[in-house]
Amino acid sequence: MIGIFRVCLIATLFVAFVPTGLLAGSYEIPRLTFAQLVDSIRADSEVTQTIKSYSGKEVAIHGFIIPAGPPDLSFFMLSRVSALGNYCCEVPVGQDETVYVFAEKEVKITYDPLRIFRIVGVFEAGMRADPTIGPSLFRVRNARVEEASGAKIFKVGEMPAAASRP
Amino acid sequence: MTILTIALKYLRGRLVASTLTAVSIALGVSLVIASVILARGIKEGFISGATDYNLVVGAKGSPMQLVLNVVFRMDLATPNIEYTIYRDLQQDQRVGVAVPMALGDAYHGFRYVATNGAYFATSPWRRKTFWLAAGRLFPDDPPNAPTYEAVLGAEAAAGTGLRIGDRFYEGEEMADYPLTVVGILRSTGSADDRAIFFSLSSFWGMNEVARKMVVKPLTAVLIRPKRMSDLPSLHREHNVAPETQAVLPSGVLLTIFNMMAVAEDVLTMILAIVGVIVLLYVFVSMYSATLERRREIATMRALGARRATVLAIVLVESCTLAAVGGVGGILGGHVAAYLAASLLATRSGLVTSPFLFGALQPAVLASVILLGTFAGLLPAVLAYRTEVAENLTPLS
Repeated sequence: MIGIFRVCLIATLFVAFVPTGLLAGSYEIPRLTFAQLVDSIRADSEVTQTIKSYSGKEVAIHGFIIPAGPPDLSFFMLSRVSALGNYCCEVPVGQDETVYVFAEKEVKITYDPLRIFRIVGVFEAGMRADPTIGPSLFRVRNARVEEASGAKIFKVGEMPAAASRP
Repeated sequence: MTILTIALKYLRGRLVASTLTAVSIALGVSLVIASVILARGIKEGFISGATDYNLVVGAKGSPMQLVLNVVFRMDLATPNIEYTIYRDLQQDQRVGVAVPMALGDAYHGFRYVATNGAYFATSPWRRKTFWLAAGRLFPDDPPNAPTYEAVLGAEAAAGTGLRIGDRFYEGEEMADYPLTVVGILRSTGSADDRAIFFSLSSFWGMNEVARKMVVKPLTAVLIRPKRMSDLPSLHREHNVAPETQAVLPSGVLLTIFNMMAVAEDVLTMILAIVGVIVLLYVFVSMYSATLERRREIATMRALGARRATVLAIVLVESCTLAAVGGVGGILGGHVAAYLAASLLATRSGLVTSPFLFGALQPAVLASVILLGTFAGLLPAVLAYRTEVAENLTPLS
């Protein structure tokens, strides 16, 4: 009787903890920072192979939403700097400071221009011209958007552990 | 006789009470349907009516007022900016298209919108296309030779009854500068349908103050940058400038949506309370009906009807009432939404669709039937437990 009880106990513990262990070692979405993106741009508007290696892969990027497209946020830009901060930081100029984001489905967030959001989607690097949005260097497609309260915006030189992996 | 026919017979037997119960359910459902459709419709109306331009530059003031006035023709026009701001923007290397706008005055409530030909131009990035239903567009006339020619939006033409060649003005001081209708646009499903367009020169010519000004006034400039990534710098530049503000129209609309979400939460609570009241009404109605006919139920039982049959009859009755009320409510809700949408379009120019069909209608109907049946459960159990001996005693 005690043997059966032990077998049941071990089986229960196995079912409860093994999937958690498997998940812990599973694929983690790498995070890219604006510092990395800026660093990757070459003089001829090309980008480094390191950043290009993320193309087609799912990445996470944190930043401020600039609602440059329609109000359903099917397309918007992600920036290092808030669109509404008139006193803070340098004005973002050029392709390096923004990521063009195409949402997977209707974005259901409480829009706040002063809040940092986390977007996760398929990354694309390299100059491309689009008839509706014009030329872009960094894009994220099929993006999901979520609030990223308290997230850290990494500066040039700083690398989050996940993104600095080769 | 089947359970359904007996149930229907019982409902017909107390026609007034049954009708009132079904009507109360229908009213509750109508309120839910109309509220949800209108809330969605207003949001959809704002999204579909939004401008294709990415930035609006105007005078310092409320960003919401600027966007509501310039894009949706609501609210009052913001103060003027100088025409030179438009010229500078036109020459800015980052700007792809800049469209000047001057707003103010109206004819029979239809707003005057002064602009140039660029406003009507088609482009791969523009969702909106302007088609003429009749006539032609007005020319981009020079400031010293205004033509006073006007193009009417579809609704403005229908509302005013003006035709090609008609001349019109509103207010005594405008009598010397009547506008001549040269074109009528097809419907665009946006606030442009309610606008009366003409050239900037005509606008300046017909307004005494603007006529005397050396540097002519504008209300706003719509901007499409060559590269979207230049948008933040253009936005910042005109916001830190002392005389202008730059607004992302979608940002303003998203702020409006945030405010609407709070109102929707309050509305959801009100609707939930309405739902509970309707359920209670169904319950009270069924309960009193069951109490009234305990003797009949006892007779049915004495004649061989099973307890389960009695239970099913009461449940079918409440289910039928809920189904009739639910269907009536869905129809009534759409009628109410249609009337409210028409009123909204007339008063504010916001075009909303009152016939948005989707998962809402079947979901509401299924919920109403389920909850209505649930409300009849306790009366049904009461009927189920009716004792034959107790309820068949002589009345005397």
